[in-house]
Parts: sequence; C-alpha cells; structure tokens
Amino acid sequence: MKPNDLIEHGYIWLDDQARHSARLLARLISRRSFLGRLGAMFAGAAVLPLLPVARALAQEPPQEVGDTQTCEYWRYCALGGTLCACCGGSVTSCPPGSELSPITWVGTCHNPADDRDYLISYNDCCGKVTCRRCSCHGSEREKPVYFPSKSSNILWCFGTEARTYHCTVAGILGEATDLGK
Amino acid sequence: MILPAARSALVAALLLGAAAPASRADPQVDYLLHCSGCHMPDGSGLDQVVPTLHEVIGRIVAEPEGRAYIVRVPGVSQAPISDEKLTDVINWMLAEFSSETLPDDFEPFTVSEVGRSRSQLLADPLKLRAELFPDY
Repeated sequence: MKPNDLIEHGYIWLDDQARHSARLLARLISRRSFLGRLGAMFAGAAVLPLLPVARALAQEPPQEVGDTQTCEYWRYCALGGTLCACCGGSVTSCPPGSELSPITWVGTCHNPADDRDYLISYNDCCGKVTCRRCSCHGSEREKPVYFPSKSSNILWCFGTEARTYHCTVAGILGEATDLGK
Repeated sequence: MILPAARSALVAALLLGAAAPASRADPQVDYLLHCSGCHMPDGSGLDQVVPTLHEVIGRIVAEPEGRAYIVRVPGVSQAPISDEKLTDVINWMLAEFSSETLPDDFEPFTVSEVGRSRSQLLADPLKLRAELFPDY
C-alpha cells in the first residue's frame, strides 16, 4: 500500500470512529433534556439569590453523586411528591411559571459521597397543575400527618400566590451532626 | 446601588454561610431542623403568615406570662426534642434574633422552667397572644 493510500485509509477510519461516537452520544443524551437542564440552570442561578429562601438553597455539600431525576438521589430521602428536576426545574429551582413556597419542612438525609448527614429543606413549587413526572415517596425520619411540621405528605404551598402543588425541590440548609434527638 | 431584597438575601446567605459547619449539640442545628421551615433560617418569618422572631420576642419574655407563652406555643412545646435541647434552642434564638430587646435583668431559660411550661397545653395560642401581646 502506498503512503498516500495509508493516510487516506487512516482518515476514513477516523471519520468512521467520530461518526459512531456522535451517534452513540446522540442516542444516550436527548437534546431537549439537555436544553431543559441548561435553561433551568441559568434561570435558577438568576432567580435564586432574590428569593426569600435563597439561603436555604444556596448551601452545597463538598461533593455528591447521583441522578437528580431519580427518587434514589440522596437528597430525596424524605421527599413525598414529584421532582422539579423532572418537570423543567432542577433540584433547587422551580420550573418556569411556578413559585417557590418559602414555608416548608426540614428533614435530614445522608450523603453517601462524603458520608455525612445534611439538613434538607423540601420546598414545594406552587401555582401550576401538578407535574406527574418522577413521583417519589421518600420517608426517612419524616412523621405522619398528625405531626404536620415533620410530614412530607403535607402540601407545603403556604405564603405563595396560589396554593396548587406543582413539584418539590430539595435544598441543603447545612450539615446535621445532631439529628435532633 | 444594591436593592434591599438582594441585600437581605446576601446578608442572610452570609449569616448562614458563616455558621454553616454546625457542631454536635449546636442549638442552631435544632433551630434549622425544627423551626426554620416556618420562621425562616434567619428568623425573619413571613409577613402576615408567620411571626418574626426578631426584636419582639425579646420584649415578650420581659413578662412571666410571655416567658411561658414562648414555650407553650405549639410549634415550640411539641418540637420532638428533649427539654434540654429545647432550652438551648430558645436561649440561642433569643440571643441570636432579639438580643437588643431583651430586658436588662433577663435570666436565660432553665430546663425545669421549659419542662414545666411545655407540659401546659395551650389550646388557643392566637387568643392568648391577642390578649397578652396585641401588637405581635
């Protein structure tokens, strides 16, 4: 084989590999979900500092793992409701058109990434029809509804313009070395 | 010029950030866990919905009825923590949010006082509050 043919074959091989990788990536990642997450990230970053509970959602742990669009994500250990991360929002921001309820309840979850417990604020997003995606039933250390301040089954749309429940976010208030025994 | 709302959020974020690494038996952790859901992490409450913890409770505890009321109000008396921890939270809360309005002769709450007061059922807190502290 001549040197020029060898180079030509090399280019063809490289093209094939690149085409294969691009198709594989396109199959695994939906463009709509990527754009949705990107948009939510920018919208959340712009709005959060102005919200009354911005401080509740601004605290981040040193490290964490997991998919925020599944009920198994560690912060959702006591989340009863639907995930805003599946509904056009994120783990800490409401979907566009819904309003973050400033009043909520606070639970604790264990972060497997750093083996520590954190205080989690489960704020509801309100004012839109209930999102039906990603319904979760986390109940770690939550209490029945007769103990409303510790119940994930309460609809926490208080202090908002509209009381309709849309979905729930899970912000970190801080580290919990004392679980309130 | 920074907007008032943005300034408040910034101050609150700084306050929480400064105190974030909570240690064991830290009353702030119990405050965040059991009180902040309604009263907000910075104690500011929510206008027309949740009473603020700033300034006014310092004046309320100036009277014996006020000291008892602060403990008997359902959110406090029914918090799922021991008398010891509840006492620490109340004293921390008063120092953190209302230190400037505490009476000069203020005595911190004791465990026995908190235990005694929280055992007295307060069936109608709004009525008692209106009678004792109409401006709150």
